[in-house]
Amino acid sequence: MKSVEELLDIASKCVRCGTCKSFCPSYEILRREGGGPRGRVTLAETSLKEAGMGGTPFGPAFQKYVKDCTLCGSCHSNCPNDVDVPALILAARTGYIAKQGLSPFASLAIKNLLGSERLRPLSMKIASKLQGLIFKGSTVEHALVSRFSIPLIGGGRLVPNLPERFFMESKTAKARKSGPEQGAAKPKVSFFVGCGVNYFLPDIGEATVRVLERSGATVSIPKAQSCCGMPALSAGDQKTAREHALKNLEVFEKEDCDYIVTSCATCGHALKDVFKDLLCDSGEEDSEMAKRVDAFVAKVRDITELIAPEGDIPVKDIEDNERPLITQDGSKVTYHDPCHLRRYQGIAEEPRILLESSGLELVGMKHPCKCCGLGGGLAFSNYELSIEIARIKAEGVRGSGADIVATACPGCIIQLKDALHRYGVDAMVVHVVELL
Amino acid sequence: MLRDSLKPITTSVQKELQGLLARENLSFLREDILCYSYDATNKIVPPEAVAFPETPEEISAILKLANLRGFPVVARGAGTGFTGGSLPVGGGLILSTERMKKIIEIDTDNLTAEVEPGVITGDLQAAVEKHGLFYPPDPTSFKFSTIGGNIAECAGGPRAVKYGVTRDYVLGLEVVLPTGEIIKTGGKTLKGVVGYDLTRLIVGSEGTLGVVTKAQLKLIAQPETRKMMLVKFAKLEDAARTVTGIIRRCIVPSTLELIDNASLRCVEEFTHMGLGGVEAVLLIEVDGRSESVEKDVLDIEGICKENASTEFRAATDKFEVRDLWKVRRSISPALKRLKSLKLNEDVVVPRSKLVELITGVEQISKERGVIIASFGHAGDGNIHVNIMVDKDDEEDCAKGLQAVEDVFKLTVSLGGTISGEHGVGTTKMPYINMELGAATIEAMKRIKEALDPRGILNPGKIFPAG
Repeated sequence: MKSVEELLDIASKCVRCGTCKSFCPSYEILRREGGGPRGRVTLAETSLKEAGMGGTPFGPAFQKYVKDCTLCGSCHSNCPNDVDVPALILAARTGYIAKQGLSPFASLAIKNLLGSERLRPLSMKIASKLQGLIFKGSTVEHALVSRFSIPLIGGGRLVPNLPERFFMESKTAKARKSGPEQGAAKPKVSFFVGCGVNYFLPDIGEATVRVLERSGATVSIPKAQSCCGMPALSAGDQKTAREHALKNLEVFEKEDCDYIVTSCATCGHALKDVFKDLLCDSGEEDSEMAKRVDAFVAKVRDITELIAPEGDIPVKDIEDNERPLITQDGSKVTYHDPCHLRRYQGIAEEPRILLESSGLELVGMKHPCKCCGLGGGLAFSNYELSIEIARIKAEGVRGSGADIVATACPGCIIQLKDALHRYGVDAMVVHVVELL
Repeated sequence: MLRDSLKPITTSVQKELQGLLARENLSFLREDILCYSYDATNKIVPPEAVAFPETPEEISAILKLANLRGFPVVARGAGTGFTGGSLPVGGGLILSTERMKKIIEIDTDNLTAEVEPGVITGDLQAAVEKHGLFYPPDPTSFKFSTIGGNIAECAGGPRAVKYGVTRDYVLGLEVVLPTGEIIKTGGKTLKGVVGYDLTRLIVGSEGTLGVVTKAQLKLIAQPETRKMMLVKFAKLEDAARTVTGIIRRCIVPSTLELIDNASLRCVEEFTHMGLGGVEAVLLIEVDGRSESVEKDVLDIEGICKENASTEFRAATDKFEVRDLWKVRRSISPALKRLKSLKLNEDVVVPRSKLVELITGVEQISKERGVIIASFGHAGDGNIHVNIMVDKDDEEDCAKGLQAVEDVFKLTVSLGGTISGEHGVGTTKMPYINMELGAATIEAMKRIKEALDPRGILNPGKIFPAG
């Protein structure tokens, strides 16, 4: 983890010019200094100076200001002095969690549901059975709308229907739970599924396996894999996040694979960038753990990166008669850049090139790389703000005239579906890989 | 001027303030105090309270209370000023205009726009562009600074060389005077000479004479086309000479920016444009009708060559233009990479004196032994002279301050002004008598005295004590 000194060093690079405010999706709506990056940097810096990571001198207003951030990173990537604002915000969140603990609902969700290997599938199963009590059907396929305002969810919100069978329990996953075939000349790919795909959007998992195998890879889906830890980290619970990182490292080290692939931009960012930070203290670059993480990270690819024409396993063209139904009618598709893919992993061209090869017409949308508003836990901590941020995306899609919005992150898909439904835009939302 | 008679915001005054504003629009929390304690000078000066009024009436009530109880009030737009104009140096209340963000009207018959002060300048520009109209003032901060702040500081930008500065686009204002009266100045008409020109008095008064609550702005037609050029030079002096050459030939570019090597090196780490090794660069943009733009580009290329340019490139697409602007707009904050403290000056000289200013500043840098990065709106004679020092090194800071004084002396001796667009605020306060005579300062103080007898509105700015 970054030390307090390193974090203060990051903060000291800020000259308070204010450039970041013009890129911040939450400041645009909140219009209050604490609701923007420059204010948050100032607050985090002061908090770290006075209480380190073990607490904070501030009260609920501080918590609200640092929570109302989607961690989209556009402040950082547009900062002339390279101030890593998200790192400071995560530290600030850790500070207040150390002071007062997670809220009861966040704790239940992060520690018990996503945090526990046994409880997670079980509780999701129960949720799947009971979802009809608090959600009602909607006009959107595989989606429900909350009947009344409930903690962490809000009211009138479109959420994906929890499937009868999670992806990890599907035939596809069960048939591939052992390590990849030994000795075969084919590239061996282990699939990091992630909670979004497993519990909410299993079709993306099916598509990922289908496209990889068609393109000549063998795929394994290790059963013991865990959550990537980002929900816990975003909430300020570094301890739980670290446990997930370690667990996943151990599971995938056992896989004799060439690549570790994910179809979730957030998981990809966690695996590529965050694990190292969580598992190794700074100044320990040469430690045994650092070497293990480096070896792991070297194998990680986003699905669009792996199967792009210039990638390691270029996607094989599909026979026209095998093409997924939605790509057969000459519809228009537009692309939304997930923050965790574009800004954190630098992947922007690959998904677009893949879409152009899908047989659909790719059209541009306004503000393709603006945050959808879901990230950083905002969709649960402040749904009202989160869905207001998403308005610009909905309007962008409307203006593009596209029938399909493709992206590369289950989180963005869930949010965009809700936003299009709420703001009355008629377009479907899918993962790029579902169109290939 | 800071008066001894100014009073803190006591618990009882807090209660009175609470009676004037909605709960969520007033804060005494330490979190908000901290967030409204700085501007782009990067100095921290905490206020005692922060208010987010939504109407002129609320501002009027606050100012009346301030006069009654004697606490200072400082209006603040986006907090992106370079001279401490919005820093509450006397304590008191920060009055943030962030909630007053309506574009009230874009009048396409009269080519005017009426806006509230908290509108972000870039948002207004985008909104009028949809109607084929143009609001030219473009301070480097236009994407995040507000119209109210721009008016208070009379902000200018690269386009000033052709289109002028904020004051040239303000037709009328609604202002709350320091004593709480709401007045209107000017209007929607292009002409108007009834009484004193209070509009011009308020523009650039740095928030010391009133709080702007509405502005009537002049718009013009969007130019038909624009062309951006990047020209490299082996010597800074050659670049400066080119600027004078272009002006002498009566070509008026919409942008004529000069950037020196120290500045180029700083932005290179962020923009990766391969300009780090270049000694000096001119960024030139011409706009207007296609035919005249084509001709201007040819003429400018000729003048550059006459002045020993080493490379001339016209941008081919909008992405290249965007990248070039990114280079220019990133310089100021990126200078932090040179040294921890930036003494940021924005001197202006008559354009014929530009070469003398540039060579003189280079001389000062050598003599004083401090790093000076120069860049800016050379086309209007306005150069940002940034004296870079290590804030923890006393000797370095002292040398820097001497260099500042040298630069100002040089500027005034060339018939220039010590601030073209940033204002005086607190940072240039000690130097105003280098430019203004005692009687001039006295006349200004009398105006302040007449409008703000108790000295509660943005005290401690412009005029040094005593």
